[in-house]
Amino acid sequence: MTQPTAPHATSKVSLLKRDPALLPALIAIWISLAIFVLYPLFRLFLTTFVVEGQLSFTNLAAVLDSWYDRQAFINSIWLATTVSVAGTFLGYVYAFAVTRIPMPLWLKWFLGAVTTLPLISPPFTSSIALTLSLGPNGILLKLLGIGNFNFYGFWGTWMSETLTYFPVSFLTLAAVLSAIDPNLEDAGLSLGASPGRVFRTVTLPLSVPGIANSFLLLFASSLADFATPLVLGGHSFPVLPTQAYLQITGMYDLRGGAALSFLLLLPAMAVYFLQRFWVGRKNYVTISGKTGSRSGFKSKGKLAEGLVLAVCFSVTGFILYLYSLILWGAIVKVWGVDNSLTMENFRYVFTHGKKAITDTLTIAAVATPLGGLMAVVVGYIAQRKRFFGNRAMEFFSMLNYALPGTVVGIAYIIAFNERPILLTGTMTILVAAYMFRYHAAGIRAVIASLHQIDPSIEEASASLGAGAVRTFFRVTVPLVVPAVLMGMRYLFIHSMTAISATIFLVSVRWSLLTTRILECMTELQFAQACAFSVVLILLVFAATAVLAGLTRFATRRISGEGGRN
Amino acid sequence: MILLSKMRILIASVVLVGLLASGAFASDLNAYTIMPEKYASQVFEAFTAETGIKVNFMRFSSGEALARVVAEKNNPQVDMILGGPADTYEAGIKEGVFEQYTPAEADMIPEKFRSPENYWTGVGIIPLVFLTNGKFLKEKGLEAPASWNDLLDPAYKNGLQMADARTSGTATERIYALVKIMGEDEAFAYQKKLHENIQMYTKSGAGGAMPIATGQAASGIFYIVDALEIQQQGHDVVLSYPSEGVSYGIEATGILKGAKNLENAKKFMDWASSKTFAQLLVDKKINYIPTRTDVVTTNPALDVSKVNLIEVDVAWKGANRKAFVDRWINEVIK
Repeated sequence: MTQPTAPHATSKVSLLKRDPALLPALIAIWISLAIFVLYPLFRLFLTTFVVEGQLSFTNLAAVLDSWYDRQAFINSIWLATTVSVAGTFLGYVYAFAVTRIPMPLWLKWFLGAVTTLPLISPPFTSSIALTLSLGPNGILLKLLGIGNFNFYGFWGTWMSETLTYFPVSFLTLAAVLSAIDPNLEDAGLSLGASPGRVFRTVTLPLSVPGIANSFLLLFASSLADFATPLVLGGHSFPVLPTQAYLQITGMYDLRGGAALSFLLLLPAMAVYFLQRFWVGRKNYVTISGKTGSRSGFKSKGKLAEGLVLAVCFSVTGFILYLYSLILWGAIVKVWGVDNSLTMENFRYVFTHGKKAITDTLTIAAVATPLGGLMAVVVGYIAQRKRFFGNRAMEFFSMLNYALPGTVVGIAYIIAFNERPILLTGTMTILVAAYMFRYHAAGIRAVIASLHQIDPSIEEASASLGAGAVRTFFRVTVPLVVPAVLMGMRYLFIHSMTAISATIFLVSVRWSLLTTRILECMTELQFAQACAFSVVLILLVFAATAVLAGLTRFATRRISGEGGRN
Repeated sequence: MILLSKMRILIASVVLVGLLASGAFASDLNAYTIMPEKYASQVFEAFTAETGIKVNFMRFSSGEALARVVAEKNNPQVDMILGGPADTYEAGIKEGVFEQYTPAEADMIPEKFRSPENYWTGVGIIPLVFLTNGKFLKEKGLEAPASWNDLLDPAYKNGLQMADARTSGTATERIYALVKIMGEDEAFAYQKKLHENIQMYTKSGAGGAMPIATGQAASGIFYIVDALEIQQQGHDVVLSYPSEGVSYGIEATGILKGAKNLENAKKFMDWASSKTFAQLLVDKKINYIPTRTDVVTTNPALDVSKVNLIEVDVAWKGANRKAFVDRWINEVIK
């Protein structure tokens, strides 16, 4: 390593000297990314583009030639766009209600609790409840006297995905909105602006990074989701992930499926770069060393508040209705035929499903803290250290998330089924799949929250003589703790409920609750599927309640410390 | 530095757990089952009771199971597959994933229910059948469909659910039957007309049965094992056969190449070809018709002596599968 010749403190070499922990952390991250992100993709790339030892585009050409696959591409973009617009809107309404409208604490808790229901249950569970309500001959359709509503296809998929993914937006935006200093809004109000004007000119612009994050997360989620369109899309609304999945599992065509997933990469990357460009150019610092104490929230206008609450309560009511259908299915003997109550289905879950329950919990409990740690380190280095390759590091950390799970699953099987890295059938492969796929939300949240924290706080610590590691753990980490916990909650939920990647990675040694539910559904054991879902939901609910409690505790500590200044 | 050492400990512990996990289950039998879990668990329980060999198994649809064993070819995670249509096995033979083995009592199973090269053995057969919602028939004043053409009746508009040819063995079986009855071009013209009445093509073969049971859909075509299951649950449904005939699937079992517990897998093949196994299907009401001729089925619904069964060669199925599915995508659902 060469000695710095000029006194410029910002040169890369001196950055390394000042941060002795940076280099080893970077090496550790890059090695794990190389093994669990780049290597499987490289192997998948070989499968797609190398035919009999020669570079070939025949696999891709076959996909582009098919009218059905082209339609799937258009549908995917359309679905992801509409889901992320609707989901972000709904998420913002909820986040606004919880953070800006005065309401009793229990009501806040209730709204938050109900909205996590779609998130903590596998997507096809709500799909079934929706089908029973709005599908052909559905309960709600009969009740409302609506005849032939075409539920299968775009509308059903859109509705189910919006309901499933808007809580992601809610969690992201609530964290961002609660971090915006209400004094800024109060200043606007006391200067004579109307509540509407304050919202347009203060609150909304400050929440732009959160909105962008939410949009990106929802777009990527919808783009990669295969379970919902598989159940509800039908043949008339093909999307790329279902096409890739059907190609691989139905036609035994790994190459065609891989080629389809490369098509899927294009829109995912486009949105990612758009978001970087848009958010990266604005400065949104609201937590600085100079804020005064936080005052209470002022009223935002009766009409607007009423409207926001009306939306929240009707959506909440609808979600509760859907989940009571699932609960009902779990406690009756045969749905719609024999309505006598029984515990038989739960007995089945705790005998035949016991292994799946313990396996799932173990995997989630290992993946969550590892993913949280990874998220905070990657997010911190990407946002704070202007260092060579940190953009690439962030990009590759998010890559598995942008890829459809089916592709990650198949790539993992191809890569880790033979030496040098033999992992199939182990817990490691499941933990890695979840960690490198779902720590994305944590990284995003850490970056978003760091966007709002003035670097001068860290600089103050450094100028007072604290080292980089000490500054990181004593100053930065406490400030991003709510974001990390949010990310960990997201990671935990997905480790318990996601299926698209891991359906290929489960083994006779490590099974998962979600695959058991899907099995029960395909085997017509509707009651057992409902009982499994109820148990899964309760388990995740209990665990996330703990994490949510920690988040609240951490947030209070930070605002408390801010108040003492 | 604190950060790094923490990461190191965490990574090391993950690797350790992984290593520990991979050492387990050395002398058992590991299997994928395409046969539904509720049946497979009874089958393997009986096998364990008789031989003392513990079985670890997971259930997948035929497409998923095949995709897995092909992907895991160089390091097989399981020793054998139980259940699933014989043409899935034929596709697997082309990929080189199966091991040849002739079970001890193979002679007791008719030759047409076994792989010519002894890669798989048929343990049961399952004809296709029409499944129709009873309430729907009463409301519309219709008889249960007795011909493939009955399903073209506008009364069934937006009312049929059946399996998607891309994922389901039930769906390809349906196409084989139609091609054998009508000839290839006619069969696809018929399906194009049938498509007008389709509400949904489901991923799995049984997927449409529950919607028909609850009245979401009116009728569909299923393997008898799935249709009977719904009826036995107590739903108001009617089973009927078309006069033109139906083909049937052969539920097979076979050993994977590179099986780590080869001897145990062979023991299972012997057992699955025995009279004990065939009798188990009958006694436990597992709705496959045993391939062994020396067992009597007691369920009248499984007595197919009056049903017009069409013989379809398994090799022909395997050879035409991809072409039929491609044609189905480009002509029927376009």
